[in-house]
Amino acid sequence: MTIKQKGYTHWDGELKTTQYPWTPITKKGIKLAFKKKFFKFTFFLTLIPAIVFLVGIYISERLEDFAFLTQDVDAVSFLKISPKYFNSYFTNDFLLFMIVVILVFCGAGLISDDLRYNSLQLYFSRPIRKKDYFLGKASVIAFFLFILTLVPGVIFLLMKILFSGSMTFIWDYPWLIASVFGYSVFITVFFAFYTLFISSVNKNRRYVSVLIFGVYVFSDILYGILHGIFNSDYFSLISIKANLQQVGAAFFGQNYPHQVSWMLSFLILVLICVVAGYVLNKKVRGVEVAK
Amino acid sequence: MIADVKNLTFSYGEILALDNVEMELHKGAVGLLGPNGAGKSTLIRILLGFLTPDHGTGHVLGYDIQNQQQLIRKYVGYMPEDDCFIPGMDGVTFTSFLGELSGMPKQEAMKRAHEVLFYVGLEESRYRNVETYSSGMKQRLKLAQAIVHDPQLIFLDEPTSGLDPSGRKEILDLILDISSKRNINVLISSHILPDIESSCSHVMILSEGKMAAQGSLSELKQIDYSLYEIRTYGDDKEFLNKLKKMGCKIDLAEDKVIKVFLPPEKNHLEIFKLAQEEKVQIRHFVKSQTSLDDLFARVVGEE
Repeated sequence: MTIKQKGYTHWDGELKTTQYPWTPITKKGIKLAFKKKFFKFTFFLTLIPAIVFLVGIYISERLEDFAFLTQDVDAVSFLKISPKYFNSYFTNDFLLFMIVVILVFCGAGLISDDLRYNSLQLYFSRPIRKKDYFLGKASVIAFFLFILTLVPGVIFLLMKILFSGSMTFIWDYPWLIASVFGYSVFITVFFAFYTLFISSVNKNRRYVSVLIFGVYVFSDILYGILHGIFNSDYFSLISIKANLQQVGAAFFGQNYPHQVSWMLSFLILVLICVVAGYVLNKKVRGVEVAK
Repeated sequence: MIADVKNLTFSYGEILALDNVEMELHKGAVGLLGPNGAGKSTLIRILLGFLTPDHGTGHVLGYDIQNQQQLIRKYVGYMPEDDCFIPGMDGVTFTSFLGELSGMPKQEAMKRAHEVLFYVGLEESRYRNVETYSSGMKQRLKLAQAIVHDPQLIFLDEPTSGLDPSGRKEILDLILDISSKRNINVLISSHILPDIESSCSHVMILSEGKMAAQGSLSELKQIDYSLYEIRTYGDDKEFLNKLKKMGCKIDLAEDKVIKVFLPPEKNHLEIFKLAQEEKVQIRHFVKSQTSLDDLFARVVGEE
């Protein structure tokens, strides 16, 4: 007898209440991101800085084998493994740019698709709270961003210890572990808010993609223009990239790239997160209510 | 009792959507009737915890609608009125994903998704991307996701909207199977009266945010008013006005038939007396059985 002929059958299992009901949302979001055209290739490109910096750590411990590099002053300076080296990785233009490209792939449709296809009511008709929904969506971004920030950071530290054969580097900079964790989490949280916020403002994923990319790039171009005209570093506060680099320098104890207090940059990024959180809370609900 | 609400009031800004609604949801299939804008979807959304009522209390499956929405949603299935799906997924992934969100283990959710998709007749299309589904298939998919976690109660919001007659019949048959043979309670919100009549034993009628009537369909059809179908000859305008003043409700049907709902305290002979006074000939007079349409017209006041 076919299922259809048998009619409706009851399920004899038991519905579980888990502490992390958002995990299916995250898993599905990650799977859907990998299904997108060119995503795997783009994601691989994003890993290039991590591979280059990892090779740098190896070379720094085997300089005698790479004697030709020691003739180049810049190369020697770069290959001196210190918090500056980590700062260079975490705040380099290419990595930040590629992070934004990855966000366009994996983050643009996270909420905008749900708004477009009315699927919010499907999520919220399940035992899912708003915070579970946001956590599930934000974790998709966190997954990809941690692979680009936290994971390479930890691997760099481990490889440095492994290649040097001693813990001296860690004893010299014990706070660096916290910096790697702290900045990875900070940049991930910021980009999660940034992406989800923009994803919630429009139902069209393409438009959202342009916005995610455009706001980041345009804020930096605007900074460049205004800085060129007025020659004031305060205009760096309007650039997302500049603010992230400024805060990165603070996390890794380096010289600030702009002559502005890092606290201001930090506050601006936090403010963006607060506004994003407020808008998200207003925009995302189980039912569209026009009060 | 499956659910109940007391003094439920909800407004969208200045628009009062529900006004002191009292309701008791009995076991089995219950129809929630009302014209567009009567507050049917709002009531369902409050029962699901999507909206918080301005006043009033309520329980669904014994859980409080204001404080225990999580538990309500765990044991309730919901088929929304609008087209809704998650893009990029095939039918079976979509259904199992929503099963997982309800708390089903992953493997079980996938197995069950296959079962319910077979049950709703999407076995051939379950590996197709949901964006490519037709309207009828999307309705079936919505039903599948509503029953994947084997809920105790299902809210179906306009389940047959956008379906052709055969698709409508198939969905109604499924609903009937679920509610009558499988011990699952169903609340069907609709403004298509034959759908409710064919699948529900109880009805609730909402009109302008108020609960206009509720009870078993057979009882509601019989109580209070007696229905007479008459045909007249002559100028009956004043005659009908006087009937209305007498407390009768009038429904102009097809073929010049006038349906007169006579209040219980009145006698049908008074209709003839009034006709005589107004010099109107009554050429057809039949005591009729009330249908759900009649009940609806009488309660909602569509004249």
